[in-house]
Amino acid sequence: MAVKIRLTRMGKKKAPFYRIIVADSRSPRDGRFIEEIGTYDPNHDPSEFKVNEEAAKKWLANGAQPTEVVSKIFKAAGIEK
Amino acid sequence: MDEILEQALLFDFYGELLSERQKEVYQYYVFENLSLGEIAAEVGMSRQGVHDLVKRGRLMLEEYEHKLHLVEKFMSIKEKVQQIDGLLDAYEGGRQTEEGWRAADTWACREGVPPVDTRGVRPEQSTQELLERIRKMADMIIEEL
Repeated sequence: MAVKIRLTRMGKKKAPFYRIIVADSRSPRDGRFIEEIGTYDPNHDPSEFKVNEEAAKKWLANGAQPTEVVSKIFKAAGIEK
Repeated sequence: MDEILEQALLFDFYGELLSERQKEVYQYYVFENLSLGEIAAEVGMSRQGVHDLVKRGRLMLEEYEHKLHLVEKFMSIKEKVQQIDGLLDAYEGGRQTEEGWRAADTWACREGVPPVDTRGVRPEQSTQELLERIRKMADMIIEEL
């Protein structure tokens, strides 16, 4: 099963807010995800993020693929593979 | 501006002007972080087709912003209203305790708005300053609308 770590948008119009989720890459449309491991809020300058480091490391070690944006967030959070 | 924020705001302001297909694909790409290949499989198009839709969608949104500047105005006005809010918080907090001012300064620092230094200022003086600043910002907002 291909597992990805990606963003998913929440929040109101004109006030975007994202969750960082772990999800199966084959059924992206149904909105289901395996685990929420953080949030990303670009409404502040600089953007604010929260990442559950332990869960992120666990999923990375298990071969979950972060998207480009999530990789950047992880880097900023000091999480390496 | 943050790239993610910019893409989201462009879509929130002008997204309704895109075609249904374009909207769907753009949302998958930008908000759900799906890859072109994943979207292609989801919507039953070629990867190249999805790529073209995303690219053209992005160009269209940017073109609208270039002509109408709604996002730019929104950001600028939002910042000013936040400053007014911060000033009021500072004023309210400061009337009670010294800690209130400190909290307001921390807020201003976090939000990136200039803090109001009213320590050592008599209450009537700071009220005057507050009103002046708020009036100035309100004028700026009206000018911009």
